[in-house]
Amino acid sequence: MLSGEEAQILATSLWVAVNAVLWSLPFAVAMAFALSRRFPGKLALEGVTHLPIILPPVLVGFVLLMLFGQRGPIGSVLAGAGIHLAFTAKGAALATAVMIFPVFVRSIRLAFEATDRNLFEAAAVLRAGPMDRFVSIALPLAGPGILAGMVMAFATALGEFGAVITFAANIPGQTQTLPLAIYAVLQQPGGEAEAMRLAVLSFILAMLGLAAAALLQRWAVRRLAG
Amino acid sequence: MKALEADIEVEQGAFSLRARFSAPAKGITVLFGPSGSGKTTLLSVLAGLKRPDRGIVTLGADSIGDLPPHRRGLGLVFQDARLFPHLTVRQNIAYAAHRAPQAGLQVEEVARFFDIVPLLDRPTGNLSGGEKSRVALARALASRPDFLLLDEPFAALDGIRRRAFIATLLDLHKVHQLPMLVVTHNIDDAAALGSHLVALQAGVVVAAGDFATASRQAAFQSLLDERDTGAAIAADRLLVADNRRGAIWLRADQVLLASEAPHGLSARNVLAGQVTALRPENDQSVLVELAAPVGHLFSRVTPQAARELALAPGRPVWAIAKAHLL
Repeated sequence: MLSGEEAQILATSLWVAVNAVLWSLPFAVAMAFALSRRFPGKLALEGVTHLPIILPPVLVGFVLLMLFGQRGPIGSVLAGAGIHLAFTAKGAALATAVMIFPVFVRSIRLAFEATDRNLFEAAAVLRAGPMDRFVSIALPLAGPGILAGMVMAFATALGEFGAVITFAANIPGQTQTLPLAIYAVLQQPGGEAEAMRLAVLSFILAMLGLAAAALLQRWAVRRLAG
Repeated sequence: MKALEADIEVEQGAFSLRARFSAPAKGITVLFGPSGSGKTTLLSVLAGLKRPDRGIVTLGADSIGDLPPHRRGLGLVFQDARLFPHLTVRQNIAYAAHRAPQAGLQVEEVARFFDIVPLLDRPTGNLSGGEKSRVALARALASRPDFLLLDEPFAALDGIRRRAFIATLLDLHKVHQLPMLVVTHNIDDAAALGSHLVALQAGVVVAAGDFATASRQAAFQSLLDERDTGAAIAADRLLVADNRRGAIWLRADQVLLASEAPHGLSARNVLAGQVTALRPENDQSVLVELAAPVGHLFSRVTPQAARELALAPGRPVWAIAKAHLL
């Protein structure tokens, strides 16, 4: 079915996407919860969150390179701790995480906004403090929405290209994900057949992701309807 | 047991609330007022869910006005129950019990008290209105509040269920010695529950005190529909056609007057008393206030009847009320 190289590409893609989703999850949940409330400066924070959508992906990759490269302000500190991000699989995950962040936050935020605020008041008069209310009411009620958001983010993550290739380069076996591999084989004469195989693989993954998201959505609706 | 006292000001656009009152540690205080009088706003401020512009709230000896809602020790039962949809009935009650300051009440114990044991493992989504109200009340009790606030918890209930819920509230108060402040705009519910009264009109307290006395004041009676003019009489002092507890709101329109001791009547409640005041209302009616051993009461008669019976302050009369009319 899959050649060794293709299996390697698929594995890299899945590793990058899974890590991008899991590592950005706590940040996305916190940001989504914050944006579902009212506070001064919310609009500015909302703008910053959406930057990766508005900016060209290559520019995002370049900014990451400036910050997390060997000589970048954050990259040099991390290098001291033995962590290298630029041109590594971890870096590919970081670039992907930044790119999927707006989509991720948006879908989780919808789940938080859909929960009945009155339930927080009910919890408060039962002696639940703010953190307690977040953990015992907000998170479980938004749970299905968060799961659906994770699936959507995962599907989006599989397709990231510009920021990843700029920050992590296109290294077979390390940072070469599906879209990067398609790009690479298209650079070679006669690579169309291989590109088509990889494209079909991408398509199947995306469809599985969408189906999972739809199932979770249905489960969420049933659960909230009691 | 702690008393709840408040002196609160809230400005909300054109509406302003300036309420100063106390709800004693013993008994049930009814917060009465027409819709829009600020009852729910007042409860929200007491519970800490809404910030007043100025105000003091004290519970017993503690000032709680600056505390967040979860530290106030006040329970609040909302009109719409607000059960947690992701938890079963048992988990809803356990949610409160786990956060109670001292252990002591088991979920089963609370459930038995409110007669909801068969519901414990059900999801909350398909409970009936009456069941939801009882679960909400059970949950509030399980959190062991020092004082319980109730915002028209029986608004969604009708007839028999409503009576049953009121009986449950009276039991709850008696058995758990839990002081309560109950919001209602229904005078029968108010009389059945209230030992004390705080009446609100357009954000201002217009009458307050012992229920029977405060509810007789003209300022309170003016809040009522004309046909609801009346007085609270302890249910055990009257003969009624059903088992009712607390007090009965005896309407002026339900009371006949006789100038002599009547005999051969089917009516079961014949109360000897004395006219204390006459208030002509319009061409059609005179409101007669009476003092009887059961308490003060009102009767509304026509001016002709008042003349023929020679009603005047000090005149002995007999007030008559049919058991089935009450």
